[in-house]
Amino acid sequence: MTVGPMFDEWYPVGIFGQLDAAGRKTMLMGEPIVVARDDNGDAKVTDGTGRSLPVCVRYGHVWTSLGDPKKKLFAIPEADQPGRRFVDVGVVRVRCSPLRAVENFLDIAHFPFVHTDILGAEPHTEVQAYKVEIREDVDEVWATQVEFYQPQAAKSASGGITTQYMYRVAGPTSTVLYKTCPPRPSEWDVITLFVQPLAEDLCDVWPWMALFDDDTPMTDLIHFQQTIFLQDRSILENQVPRLLPLDPGMEMPTRADLTSVAYRRWLKRHNFTYGAQLVAQ
Amino acid sequence: MTGSWVPVALSSDLPSGTVLPARIPAGPLALWRSQSGRVAASADRCPHRGMSLSHGFVRGETLSCIYHGWSYGQAGNCLRIPAHPGLTPPEAIRTVTHPVAEADGVVWVAVGEPAATPPGLAGLVPLRSITAFVDIAAIEAAAGAKATAEGLLDAGDIRLLLSSTREGETLIHVLIAADAGPAERIAAARTAEALRRRAEDIQKKGAAQ
Repeated sequence: MTVGPMFDEWYPVGIFGQLDAAGRKTMLMGEPIVVARDDNGDAKVTDGTGRSLPVCVRYGHVWTSLGDPKKKLFAIPEADQPGRRFVDVGVVRVRCSPLRAVENFLDIAHFPFVHTDILGAEPHTEVQAYKVEIREDVDEVWATQVEFYQPQAAKSASGGITTQYMYRVAGPTSTVLYKTCPPRPSEWDVITLFVQPLAEDLCDVWPWMALFDDDTPMTDLIHFQQTIFLQDRSILENQVPRLLPLDPGMEMPTRADLTSVAYRRWLKRHNFTYGAQLVAQ
Repeated sequence: MTGSWVPVALSSDLPSGTVLPARIPAGPLALWRSQSGRVAASADRCPHRGMSLSHGFVRGETLSCIYHGWSYGQAGNCLRIPAHPGLTPPEAIRTVTHPVAEADGVVWVAVGEPAATPPGLAGLVPLRSITAFVDIAAIEAAAGAKATAEGLLDAGDIRLLLSSTREGETLIHVLIAADAGPAERIAAARTAEALRRRAEDIQKKGAAQ
């Protein structure tokens, strides 16, 4: 199949701090690639024919592209803010479309049922109205004024709070959320989901965080995020079809799903269809 | 008569308040029993985001999807969307359901428009179910006997009720006399297991040729 315009986008392919000269053999959109450090200690990515691919090291990860990226990798200004701790959570392989993994990350209505007693709990299931837009200047999907009651919003939260969220789709398989930072109410914690498309129905997911939390041990921060994501995986691997349906008749959104509706519209607009199902089957 | 009754599960494997995955030739099902004991069969897919409903949960008289808690009644109509507690779900939100009948300890699902009631088991009762990765023909070859149109197979030493779940996969319900004692029950289970192995060997050899 042809990958289409997603060919020229940036994708995460490994944690920079964990690379060695021997390299990591992996896949990107069906192509075998090797991610390694060269003699200068810089990241180097080569495809199956030995061709060097574009490389960028940012947010703890190595990013590459099979094509010719038209833009620099998206900015996360908080990544340069002093006082934050940066957490390379690791990798989780999921048997699903990379686009489904992103869409699930944008959803809050599942918290009480999938992340029970952590990110949500019955009877606090209602999703209040929030704002969604495609920001034309940066070409990103944004959801703002999102609020949800959470029993334990973060590792650093000691009890239930109403958490504020902002969601951002910065690339077809890259998404960032900003949420209430329990120890520092004037700031946002940053949690991302960087998704490496291995194939249309298989992905490696690399969560990354930039938090204000000086107390929680790194291991606990990683475990917290891994627990959450493994709960998500049990959903993602059991959705039918595996690909994300862009045909409007195939799945039924409600008002709570406006972020997902905007994401799907934005994917369609750009012909970002690697991992999508276009016609109902 | 333009349909058939498919024996998808045993009553004893579906207690009140539970859901389990089942399969008919048309596709996967979520088979569930409400708190009051009523059995229903729904397509195994929530129309909201495609999540498998057999991973869901039963509360009272409804089946809920594990992803967002959307709950469905026996007739497949969506009754509640927890993200919008004040909303009455539109009629259009529903799952495809199939008629279900329960008789002699077997749960049957109607495919098409079959006879009014499922076939009788002639005084036999189900012992247990086994999934075999073979077609019905391989089981017939292993047993040296043919199954009836309803899936009943009498091999002399063992009686089975067969249901083709998909190509290369058959659900075998082992049947025994209602008054069979423990020794007979154990013997029937062992005989059925041996038959399954023989059938899978036959299928493998067939595939290798």
